Amino acid sequence: MIARWGLWEVPLPALASTSWLMMISVLLPVALGVLGSCFPPRRVWPVLLAGTSLMAVGVALLASVMMAGAQLVSFSLGSIPIALRLNGVAVLMLLVTQLIAVATALYTPGMLRQMAPLALGRWLWGLMGALVATLSLIWMAVDLLTLYFALELMGLCAVGMLLLSGKSDALVAGTRYLLLALVGSLAYLLGVALILGRWETLSLIALAEQHVSGPVAWIAAALMGAGLALKAALFPLHAWLAPVHVNAWTPVSALHAALVIKASLYILLMLWSLLLPASEAVPFMMAVLGTLAIVWGGLSAWRADSLKVLVASSTVAQLGYLMLVFPLLLAPDISAQAQQLAWEGYWLLLIGHALAKAAMFMAAGNLIFATGESTLKGLAGTSRRLPLSLLVFGLASVTLMGLPPSAGFIAKWQLLHAMILTTQWWMVVVLLMGTLLTAAYVFRLFRYSFIDSAPRHEFKRLSPEMDVIALFLALAALMLGLFAYWPLTLLEGGL
Amino acid sequence: MAWLPLVTLAVSLVAAAIIFWLPEHAWHRRTWVNLAAAVIKLMLVGFIILRIVNGHEDTFSLPVVENVAFVLRADALGVMFAGLSSLLWLCTTIYAIGYLEDSPNRKRFFGFFSLCVASTLGIALAGNLFTFVIFYEMLTLSTYPLVVHRGNEKALAAGRVYLRYTLTAGVVLLLGVVWLHSLAGSLAFSEVPSLIHYLPDYGMQLSMIFVLLVGGLGVKAAIVPLHGWLPRAMVAPAPVSALLHAVAVVKAGAFGILRVVYDVYGIELTVALGMNTLLAVIASITIIYGSLRAIAQQELKPLLAFSTISQVSYVILGVSLFGPSGTIGALVHLLHQGLMKVTLFFCAGNYAEELGIHRIDDLNGAGRRMPLTSIAFTVGALGMIGLPPIAGFISKWYLGVGAIQANMHTVVLVLVLSSMLNALYFFPVLYRLWFCQGPAHGQGKWPEERRLGRLETSGWLLWPTMLTALISVLAGLFAGLPFSPLEWAIRVAALEYLP
Amino acid sequence: MSTMSLNTLSPYISEILLALMLVCVAWATLFDRHLLRACSMFVVFALTLTLAWWRLQTPWLAFAELIFGGVLTSLAFFYVLGVVPLASPLLPKRDGLVETWSHAGVRAVLALSWLALLLVALYALTPTFADAFEGNPLIVAGAVMVASGLGAFALHRHLLRRLLAFNVLGSGVFLFLAGLAGTLVKVQALIVVGLLVAWLGTLLGALLIRRIYMLQGQQALADGDAKEAE
Repeated sequence: MIARWGLWEVPLPALASTSWLMMISVLLPVALGVLGSCFPPRRVWPVLLAGTSLMAVGVALLASVMMAGAQLVSFSLGSIPIALRLNGVAVLMLLVTQLIAVATALYTPGMLRQMAPLALGRWLWGLMGALVATLSLIWMAVDLLTLYFALELMGLCAVGMLLLSGKSDALVAGTRYLLLALVGSLAYLLGVALILGRWETLSLIALAEQHVSGPVAWIAAALMGAGLALKAALFPLHAWLAPVHVNAWTPVSALHAALVIKASLYILLMLWSLLLPASEAVPFMMAVLGTLAIVWGGLSAWRADSLKVLVASSTVAQLGYLMLVFPLLLAPDISAQAQQLAWEGYWLLLIGHALAKAAMFMAAGNLIFATGESTLKGLAGTSRRLPLSLLVFGLASVTLMGLPPSAGFIAKWQLLHAMILTTQWWMVVVLLMGTLLTAAYVFRLFRYSFIDSAPRHEFKRLSPEMDVIALFLALAALMLGLFAYWPLTLLEGGL
Repeated sequence: MAWLPLVTLAVSLVAAAIIFWLPEHAWHRRTWVNLAAAVIKLMLVGFIILRIVNGHEDTFSLPVVENVAFVLRADALGVMFAGLSSLLWLCTTIYAIGYLEDSPNRKRFFGFFSLCVASTLGIALAGNLFTFVIFYEMLTLSTYPLVVHRGNEKALAAGRVYLRYTLTAGVVLLLGVVWLHSLAGSLAFSEVPSLIHYLPDYGMQLSMIFVLLVGGLGVKAAIVPLHGWLPRAMVAPAPVSALLHAVAVVKAGAFGILRVVYDVYGIELTVALGMNTLLAVIASITIIYGSLRAIAQQELKPLLAFSTISQVSYVILGVSLFGPSGTIGALVHLLHQGLMKVTLFFCAGNYAEELGIHRIDDLNGAGRRMPLTSIAFTVGALGMIGLPPIAGFISKWYLGVGAIQANMHTVVLVLVLSSMLNALYFFPVLYRLWFCQGPAHGQGKWPEERRLGRLETSGWLLWPTMLTALISVLAGLFAGLPFSPLEWAIRVAALEYLP
Repeated sequence: MSTMSLNTLSPYISEILLALMLVCVAWATLFDRHLLRACSMFVVFALTLTLAWWRLQTPWLAFAELIFGGVLTSLAFFYVLGVVPLASPLLPKRDGLVETWSHAGVRAVLALSWLALLLVALYALTPTFADAFEGNPLIVAGAVMVASGLGAFALHRHLLRRLLAFNVLGSGVFLFLAGLAGTLVKVQALIVVGLLVAWLGTLLGALLIRRIYMLQGQQALADGDAKEAE
């Protein structure tokens, strides 16, 4: 696992350009965000221009990894060393982040134009830029200080963005999220305190070299795990998620569900593979909680009346799958083949879910915006009037259900394979039942949409790009399955 | 020409994309796209057939994950199914254009219709189980909007049942396939499967996987007791039912079982595991049960639905016989049943559209009012019973010979019994059509008469019906000629038995 | 009180006094239902903490605590109360929300027992940490602050008091961190980042509470579930 995370002293020196590119990839979103705040774009093309420049940095970093493999870059701020590493996983997540961020940014002008002129819209750009910067930092950081800094800033940006809609429900939900996130970060900091006290280092690479273990590592893992699980909305700590999403702006929900909660999960898995290298009970407990999450999230999505609650609850369930994989990744007696399969499945599932969930939130936002109804029943008859939004929702849910040829399907294929190899039959049952449960709640929406006898509503017109961008993301999630070979080569140990 | 299978597949996908993109009211453009795609595809499949005859086998391969690839392969068995689906797609498209005239949501309908056919073609050309699963699930998703097309309470309920059955089946199939993959690695379809080497060590697991695979495929093939969705899905429009029964869903299941038995497990291994007996038993039960239920039906479409349940299991029965004749019977029945069943559904649709007839009682004297449709129906029905010279006779003949060769006399009994039962439910219908006095003779009224065309009904509805009926007769009459279904089935069987 | 007088006492006793004072002020901040008094106590708390950092020979941290804790965070609290921009509407003076005993008890017991388990585990399992606890009263004060902050966070429903509890909890964590890991540069960096984040969070929270109060006069979250606070 250590090698997979790139937490080792890379023998070769980094390319000279890499450190610059890394800095640009973090600073450029901030600059673009500030620019957007000062001169809020009203059309798509300036956003597209800015987004292309950002993606170019991501692609350059990708090229760097393809040429020189995993790289480690050290900066120092005064006397504080900061290390960033670039490996396959990091660059993959970076690209996904940039892609989704650019897509949401392209979606935003259309949405803001349709709404009454809002002064708050200005803030969205700045916060979005800062959020992307912190996310990029999280994927690359390998010391606890940088991670802490980026995690906290990301959390605050996320809260700020979620509050922009300004409804009092949003504020209440956002306040709860804020308080929980802050307390979660303190739990993380307590864990850092223990690690610092015991091993006197913040660098994950140094920790990996020392093969940390023992009670202090366990307690630190528990503290950090609790804090991060709270931020990632992992199962018993998920209650804040749905209310926050119900009231937020569509692009904000998309970014949050697709990336922000994933960042916490990313850190959690990375730290646990360091701190709990030979634990069986903890990953097993995570898997049990994941099972409960799949069931609970699925049932609450199934019972949901409101479209956004459905989508948000499905996030809880999907995170359950990611939790279910923990034993395959972390438990000590897993064969290398099964671990590799689970590793690939985990990232495919995560990326597929990120793309699909962003698309789904956009499609849901479009449906709600056009019909003016936020309940499922209110969507009756939409299949005739809003076929494209519904199609996007359908394509995105194919990924969530894990049906072919989506990324979710290939991920489930790999995970099933790993589970069968390790004879974890109960996990197989959970994974497959989860598919059916997902289908149950997704098709509830379609059942309503196909009802033809419904009264006709006056539908508002959507900007075309709002549907097109959502369609693009949904198709990306769908096609990622068939073209998974190349992204998966990035996940092989050495890179 | 590795791209040939891919292009053939892409034709329908592109057609679907264009149809989704066209506006709802663009009737002419949509019709042109539909027909052009269907014709191009038929020509491409014809080209593939020629290449196979000349000894070329085109394979397209795209690695997806380690040891798993997306493979499209135009082999003889696959092309047989592809040919059936593209021929019937053309007929059904023409029929559907006429059938859905002036009805709402045609864009959605034809879009998913094209996707559905693309999935069927993908199933036909899939070169390994992984690719097969992809298209099998795609088929489930693309048929759902067709089943619930009418958007009323009954259609939505039917759609719910359909999804419950097929998605669960998909999950079971997936488990079987992944399990097999983890056991044996390669999932490629080949005429000489290598799975037999695993028999000594993994016999039990192989049996379990076989049951999972056949269970997953059996839902779509409507094997009793997994058939519950099929009669309910009858609420769909007639062309959808025709397609579902003749080529797409039901046949996909049966075709999958053929693939699993012949190209994944291999005949030897299936016999060694004792699975042929299992197949023979469930097929026999399904055949008898379907026929018995069909007799009890009051309406035409449910009768045809139960008839399908019974007829598709002939294919499985043929597979279970494990001799060249049985295999030929199974393969050729796959084609013949498709032709005849599509004819019957077209006729049922014609009666419903033109005269508003759904119940069998109302058919009295319809032969006089709609002679051409009724002749087509008679051809289909007699073929189903297995009378010469119609195509159905050929398949039953080979099945019977296969059963005798395999020394399975119970199967012969089942065949005879089922033929009698078939006659028992089809002859009353034919009698009513031709010999009863009805509204055409001045007695009573048709339930809802609409004059759709100069002929007995609209030409869009009539000509495809006549065409498929004609092909059913020709396939029986000229079974010995090259490129006839029988000849192709013999070619495939020869590959399986004499690789 | 000046640093001079503290330094003249024996260092150990002065640290004990400081620790005691921190704990007392923290409790006063946490458990006073009179909101203005609680916020004023927080200012005192921040100043005491500044002294503690000074005592630990980390002038930069003392400075940061003074600026972030003593000035900026306190300003945020007074903003919530309606004191700071003069003539803005005042929040009700007291926290009148009463939890049922069973509910509150369960929350408090959960939070505290979880923390107690942690501390016992630390103390028992690691000799190095045990030494740190005995030789350093400030780390004990930190631990007590963490415990009571967490308890108060779980217990209270008034948003302002939860925010206060978070700040006390955070300060406890910082002290604890400094006590366990020493006052290396990277520890100080970590704490400064923590202080910055705590201030930003408090500021955001303050803006929110004020806004919610203006919108609906609601001072508590509709159905805040304190179990999540863990």
